[in-house]
Amino acid sequence: MPPASFLHNLHPLTKVVWSLAVVTAAFFLQGPLPLLLLWASVLAVAGAGKVLRQVLPALKGLALLAGLFFLFQVFLIREGNTVFTLFPAKGIGQVTDVGLYACTVLALRMLAMTSTIPVLLATTNPKDMVVAFVEKLKVPYLYAFMLVTSLRFIPILQEQLDLVLQAQRARGRDLEGRNFIKRVKAVVPLALPLLLVSIRRSRTLAISLETRGFGSGPRTHLRPLAFRPADIAATAACLLLAFLVILL
Amino acid sequence: METLIEVQNFTFYYGESPVPALADLNLTVRRGEFVGITGPTGAGKTTLALALNGVIPHFQGGRWSGRVVVAGMDTAETPCSRLARIIGSVFQDPEAQLVATDVEEEVAFGLENQALPREEMLPRIEEALTMVGIRDLRHRSLKELSGGQKQRVAIAAALAMRPAVLVLDEPTSELDPQGTQDVMEVLRLLNREHHLTIVLLEQKLAAMAPYISRLVCLHEGRVVADAPPREILRREKLLRELGLEDPPVAAFFRQLQRAGLYSRDLPLTVEEGREELGRLFAKEGIL
Repeated sequence: MPPASFLHNLHPLTKVVWSLAVVTAAFFLQGPLPLLLLWASVLAVAGAGKVLRQVLPALKGLALLAGLFFLFQVFLIREGNTVFTLFPAKGIGQVTDVGLYACTVLALRMLAMTSTIPVLLATTNPKDMVVAFVEKLKVPYLYAFMLVTSLRFIPILQEQLDLVLQAQRARGRDLEGRNFIKRVKAVVPLALPLLLVSIRRSRTLAISLETRGFGSGPRTHLRPLAFRPADIAATAACLLLAFLVILL
Repeated sequence: METLIEVQNFTFYYGESPVPALADLNLTVRRGEFVGITGPTGAGKTTLALALNGVIPHFQGGRWSGRVVVAGMDTAETPCSRLARIIGSVFQDPEAQLVATDVEEEVAFGLENQALPREEMLPRIEEALTMVGIRDLRHRSLKELSGGQKQRVAIAAALAMRPAVLVLDEPTSELDPQGTQDVMEVLRLLNREHHLTIVLLEQKLAAMAPYISRLVCLHEGRVVADAPPREILRREKLLRELGLEDPPVAAFFRQLQRAGLYSRDLPLTVEEGREELGRLFAKEGIL
């Protein structure tokens, strides 16, 4: 059982609104400090929802991505005073004060915007997300079901891939070559069995759905989601804050 | 006893295949029976399962003739969703037949499709999970369960729809011996205590034989034998011709029979075998 917190109990759409509010705010905030504060607020929400530890690996990945983004961009901006040059002799790798500032803002903006996603996923049951989209946003159930099912099949495919890999290693196939072309070639014998297994699996799933009366008409949900006062309050607060940021 | 399933001269060809998967097959299942259907790979077990729950001809295309009647309804004229309320289906792959992320959602799925109100779903989920003995797993994630537990969830999901008959297509083929036995025990309980009619299509003859009341052998899409399991296990030639598993306990006692040492019914389990041996030793004055 996941640890329950107020964040887990909020309506999925409330959390989507929060996520969008953070994105909006990130676009309108200009300085590194406000963006840092925004990011800190996302972390604070994760902490209050008792999922900080859980989303930490994802946050680390996102921070790494933002860092890479920073590195790629920082050398491209030529305006402003040069702070230092990576290879002074050749004049390559100039870093300017304008570049440093702009890239820090960009990287922080990206980090703040994307950090809500792991928090959203960690505190929301995928099924609830589907129900929310179907009931409140009138997305056809079939599409929502397709999305969740494909998400559910990813770890199963991963397991299958490991199995195929092991089977081929056991037959002496070298899949670890450093040569790029060799590695691309090695993908084919991996992809084919994986594809065949997936087709067989999806057939079983389709038959299983058929025999359980899927798609026979209107359906009900085991866990209907109520939009509670707490959701209204949280949504209003998010919208208000986003508005304030835009006005300022 | 009332007839629940009636297969009449049913023939089915997959796509353009010249060889029929089922050939002029006839089978009757009465309410309350626990029927085992066995046969080598390719004998038509899966095809028969799909014909019973209406996937053939509604979902799986092919050429067919004959009739399959379930609880008075012709499957060719009844939509799968309607048949789903009479026939509960469980398949081989525990992973691919589950659609939800946790046990409760999985069992609720069929009920949601029937648009049942929530108040009616909750007791049915409770009942179905209790029947297969996994009430304590209700709020667990499916990821955490063993293969045997997953198959029991699949059975519970079928039971929640309160079917008249349960059709299981090799439900234990991906399970270890313990998982297999657990599933068999659950099926026995459902048949004995809840009077559920069960059709079990299974290759593991030794695992299935002690539990079923009737064994049907398929070969090349036809029924070649239909009798209580003890009678069929006496027919060594048939077992060998069909390439069926020969349960070791029964095989041992058949040897004794041939040597003229044993004349009672063939035991099917190790426990029964031990008892019969004890009786034999006592009679012969060995012990």
